[in-house]
Amino acid sequence: MAAIVRFNLLTKPQIVATLPASLHVQRFQSTQAPPPGTPPPQTKTKFGPLADEDRIFTNLYGRHDWRLKGALKRGDWYKTKEIVLKGADWIVNEIKTSGLRGRGGAGFPSGMKWSFMNKPGDGRPKYLVVNADEGEPGTCKDREIMRHDPHKLVEGCLIAGRAMGAQAAYIYIRGEFYNEASNMQLAIAEAYQAGLIGKNACGTGYDFDVFMHRGAGAYICGEETALIESLEGKQGKPRLKPPFPADVGVFGCPTTVTNVETVAVAPTICRRGGVWFASFGRTRNSGTKLFNISGHVNRPCTVEEEMSIPLKELIERHCGGVTGGWDNLLGVIPGGSSTPIIPKNVCDDVIMDFDGLIAAQTSLGTAAIIVMDKSTDVIKAIARLISFYKHESCGQCTPCREGIGWMNKIMTRFVKGDAQPAEIDMLWEISKQIEGHTICALGDGAAWPVQGLIRHFRPEIEKRMQLHAKRVSN
Amino acid sequence: MAGREAVKRAVQQVRPILSVDREEARKRALNLYKAWYRQIPYIVMDYDIPMTVEQCRDKLREEFVKHRNVTDIRVIDMLVIKGQMELKESVEIWKQKGHIMRYWKESQDPKPTDFLSKFIQGVN
Amino acid sequence: MIRAPLVKALGALGSPTHQMASRAVRTSAMVAQTPAKAPEKIEVFVDDIPVQVVPGTTVLQAAAQIGVEIPRFCYHERLAVAGNCRMCLVEVEKSPKPVAACAMPVMKGWRIKTNSDLTRKAREGVMEFLLMNHPLDCPICDQGGECDLQDQAMAFGSDRSRFTDINYTGKRAVEDKDIGPLVKTIMTRCIHCTRCVRFASEIAGVDDLGTTGRGNDMQIGTYVEKLFLTELSGNVIDLCPVGALTNKPYSFVARPWEIRKVSSIDVLDAVGSNIVVSTRTNEVLRILPRENEDVNEEWLADKSRFACDGLKRQRLVAPMVRMPNGELQAVEWEGALIAVAKAIKAAGGQIAGISGQLADLEAQVALKDLLNRLGSEVVATEQGFIAGGTDNRANYLLNSTIAGLEEADAVLLVGTNPRYEAPLVNTRLRKAYVHNELQIASIGPKIDLSYDHENLGADAALVKDVCSGAHAFSKVLEGAKKPAIIIGADLLERADGAAIHATVAEYCKKLKKPNWNPFNVLQTNAAQVGALDVGYKAGAQTAVKAQPKVLFLLNADAGKVTREQLPKDCFVVYIGSHGDNGASIADAVLPGAAYTEKQGIYVNTEGRPQQTLPGVSPPGMAREDWKILRALSEVVGKPLPYDNLDELRNRLEDVAPHLTRLGQLEPAGDAGAAGTISKSIGGGAIDIKLKELRDYFMTDAISRASPTMAKCISAVNKQQRENEAKQSVAI
Repeated sequence: MAAIVRFNLLTKPQIVATLPASLHVQRFQSTQAPPPGTPPPQTKTKFGPLADEDRIFTNLYGRHDWRLKGALKRGDWYKTKEIVLKGADWIVNEIKTSGLRGRGGAGFPSGMKWSFMNKPGDGRPKYLVVNADEGEPGTCKDREIMRHDPHKLVEGCLIAGRAMGAQAAYIYIRGEFYNEASNMQLAIAEAYQAGLIGKNACGTGYDFDVFMHRGAGAYICGEETALIESLEGKQGKPRLKPPFPADVGVFGCPTTVTNVETVAVAPTICRRGGVWFASFGRTRNSGTKLFNISGHVNRPCTVEEEMSIPLKELIERHCGGVTGGWDNLLGVIPGGSSTPIIPKNVCDDVIMDFDGLIAAQTSLGTAAIIVMDKSTDVIKAIARLISFYKHESCGQCTPCREGIGWMNKIMTRFVKGDAQPAEIDMLWEISKQIEGHTICALGDGAAWPVQGLIRHFRPEIEKRMQLHAKRVSN
Repeated sequence: MAGREAVKRAVQQVRPILSVDREEARKRALNLYKAWYRQIPYIVMDYDIPMTVEQCRDKLREEFVKHRNVTDIRVIDMLVIKGQMELKESVEIWKQKGHIMRYWKESQDPKPTDFLSKFIQGVN
Repeated sequence: MIRAPLVKALGALGSPTHQMASRAVRTSAMVAQTPAKAPEKIEVFVDDIPVQVVPGTTVLQAAAQIGVEIPRFCYHERLAVAGNCRMCLVEVEKSPKPVAACAMPVMKGWRIKTNSDLTRKAREGVMEFLLMNHPLDCPICDQGGECDLQDQAMAFGSDRSRFTDINYTGKRAVEDKDIGPLVKTIMTRCIHCTRCVRFASEIAGVDDLGTTGRGNDMQIGTYVEKLFLTELSGNVIDLCPVGALTNKPYSFVARPWEIRKVSSIDVLDAVGSNIVVSTRTNEVLRILPRENEDVNEEWLADKSRFACDGLKRQRLVAPMVRMPNGELQAVEWEGALIAVAKAIKAAGGQIAGISGQLADLEAQVALKDLLNRLGSEVVATEQGFIAGGTDNRANYLLNSTIAGLEEADAVLLVGTNPRYEAPLVNTRLRKAYVHNELQIASIGPKIDLSYDHENLGADAALVKDVCSGAHAFSKVLEGAKKPAIIIGADLLERADGAAIHATVAEYCKKLKKPNWNPFNVLQTNAAQVGALDVGYKAGAQTAVKAQPKVLFLLNADAGKVTREQLPKDCFVVYIGSHGDNGASIADAVLPGAAYTEKQGIYVNTEGRPQQTLPGVSPPGMAREDWKILRALSEVVGKPLPYDNLDELRNRLEDVAPHLTRLGQLEPAGDAGAAGTISKSIGGGAIDIKLKELRDYFMTDAISRASPTMAKCISAVNKQQRENEAKQSVAI
């Protein structure tokens, strides 16, 4: 779910109202001095590979000690007190300067999102909720952080929490992540014992608690409002927005739900400066990012890379290339299961960042790259994804509950080819009837893979139908 | 003089239906009576009613006598017209036996008007 | 549903969901209060028509202001907003995707398009999805003809189906659930709007219904199969937009277009719920609620809704006279009237009348007039009340009014269980509890009121404690803006009832606020207030004490009078509709009309006169009650001076003019009895007759005759046996 967490946030009017304002500022930055918090313009034209000294997650592969001692050795909790003492405005400003965009999928500018929480309070406590319900097929970045670098997250909670004036952070971990939850819990305990969090965290006089909550294994609980419901002990069903969590969130209090990676990179950004972070990637797509490459590559891996790295370079450099060579590539799902698939000719020169993938009619999502070579039955692959979404739909609202079930039925038949060509258009229309008509973004996430399939592999589907028709007539 | 004028005007204002004076109306009524009188044997035969011609003629007389007090020419005319219609319907066998026999049907009980009778009969 | 204070504390920030719910809840309250500050209105455009709305108004409400109705399934004015059916999606200019009109608050300058291509396409798409798994068994569906899904499919759906998978895997099928003898479930038809779930948890206060499963496998149900036992269960039938929840006793009985509908009033409790009686071929088929914001909103209690089959059972269809051998024998009206007249003449003025639970005001007036003409003043209601307390109307009314109670912020219940004595008063209290921080305490046995309340104990002496200001709850009452004390009508039958009444009345004078009368008596009988208003004495014992030679029982079926209490030669005349307690001791039985068969005024517990209208005619030789008395008066030789209802109503206007202003409420003054009344409250526990659900179903002649009500009681008993068995296994 993580990939589609906040797509619909983007379209909500009150945020739309604020978003163009900042873009507006950027457009005119050449004529006047940019306001504080504007990322510096990018001058590089070639992105990646990332130098080792610029890596944020230095224990991604668990080769070192993940506990407090090891974390301190790697520079975590270094000068956290000073950062916290610099205050919320400084942190938010630094995050804004870094150009960090949410790593959960929707890519909403984090600095701006955190600043929503800094409205004058009305007596209610504020909460930071960390979305560690990483359930998106293909995505496996947050778990690496939580089991090998949990202190980055705990520290991130403190800093992000400080930035939004939160009293406590809830880390909602996916139920299946047993080891991750266990490491996380230990890390939190260590941090408490070391006085890094809790009362007078890091000796700053700021009280901050971190709680961990294990989910029960539902993809939909990765949607921010469903996560809040689940955290409150109810059925994990998305809430209507508005009110947005920033107004009424967990336990009725202002809440920000952010992805693990977003929170975990915050301390490093604050330590090394937003400008350093902004030096990676194209403008509006700054930073480094954890990429998960799975599927038909020689060495599937999770790797931290610079944003805007070309897909081909990413696969060739870190994964030993596509099995059977680049020419054996059929297509790539670039951002977790909910993003539309792109065929090889698009993959050839696509750039892995938010804007680059939107130009390719897909999305960066969680940057979970699923590579498929020519041995793949692409229709079956997408059908399997739809079956996943059908299984994970919460059943609350009509288009998702009924529509995905229907798409699943149709896709099952498409795998065999037992359908009429006209049904392809029908399927397209059904997916359009689901997209944008649901309470949360799960409906969109289920509609996009189908749309991607039809957009790029329609001849494949038709061919299979002809074959099936022939087989039946014989 | 003025009174006569008024009467005259009143008489003038009423448009006659058929007859212009009493004599004419009387003739029409008699003609109708005669026509019925002559047709009765055929009606008895055609409808095969359990009545004799004599009984029917008595009923005919009764029906006419019922209206003996009518003096308004227009009313007489209208009754004559209705009588003609009845006759036509009877002769052309547009009616059925029951319709003819209805002339002898005892008149219905008058509806109760006082509270107690209404109550006991259960009518409102 | 959880209590809403947290969300409410948010004030303007609060969720629009809640704002809207509370707005729907308290429209009457808002009107009553002086507008503190009129929030500045904002302008939006619905289909290019400008509308001025208060901030926080939803798109759907804004559209409704100019009469544009947006289709909906899950949205309901009186329930929380769920926003899950997506039928109300409308296009808003400059918004990339359609918005759910039921939940989205309008912003300034929005241009809402309720009939654009995008909107129509969205509706058609949702409609297609809903129909995809809907069985389309409309020809055998009881909802057919009054089904939201049917209507909206006609209006907004596509004209053809493209659900090709019907030839492959088919549609979803869901097992039906047994949730009790009143509500029939055909779960395959369910469109998962969750109105029933929300009703159960918000209005009824019973968290029995919920959703289980996920996605396409989501089901509405009770999880572990059990009965949906609440006194308001029938309302989910009305709420269900499809035929998933239907009326079990009415199933396969009639189609809506064959039915004749008559607007009437319910008399099985003292709330006076407005109802619609559906009849066909002189038979009452079902009863539905009719909206009346002041009385029942749009709900109806189960007894009122489902006891209508009792109108066909145990009916008295012919006058009967007890023969010398002791048998009641059917006779003609003349014979019966003459027999009664003879007895009256022999009695020489030693006559008394007792009016029961279901008597209409006209009959009560006629009975009183008749007895007065015959030289007797002894007319009494069957249910008791305090002696000498009937002169002041405020003494026996629910003075805070039913709608008013939802504004109350502290309520003390004394010897009453509103949940079963007046379920729709209880929904108001619950609403106040959920939305208005109502604090409730009760004196009496421990009962489940469907909301949290403090039980102060059962001792009657507590009343004194509270009313002297010594008790902790007195502080709550005295500190409240709108406190209310509700006394159960049955409690006042006690020996020290008058003392309790006087003590509370005295205290209420202290609690009084401008435009707010905190003194309330919750009546249980529909006929009680009317009878007291036209000058009946309270209590059957009044009549018994007179030792009459002739005793009239006008619908008196509670069994408060026995033959043993009466003189041996007493001639008992029963006038009523059902062969129940009254008829069994009668020497002459004169069959009357039930409330669906006559035009009669009933005054509800807050003193609001409303009239029933005849839906069917009385069975057999039964007659309207007042006509029986009028006829008898003539046979006796003392004819009453009215021959029709209008004349009788004129007479009523002479007696009690406020009772002919139908539907209107006449405010009463302060409660308090004339003269001095001993205020010594004897000790002893306060008891309540209707403690549990099983006590609720049969409380009068009609519901006692109803097979459906009998089924309800056995269902409750069965459920309890099962629960006990489970517990003993667990132990």
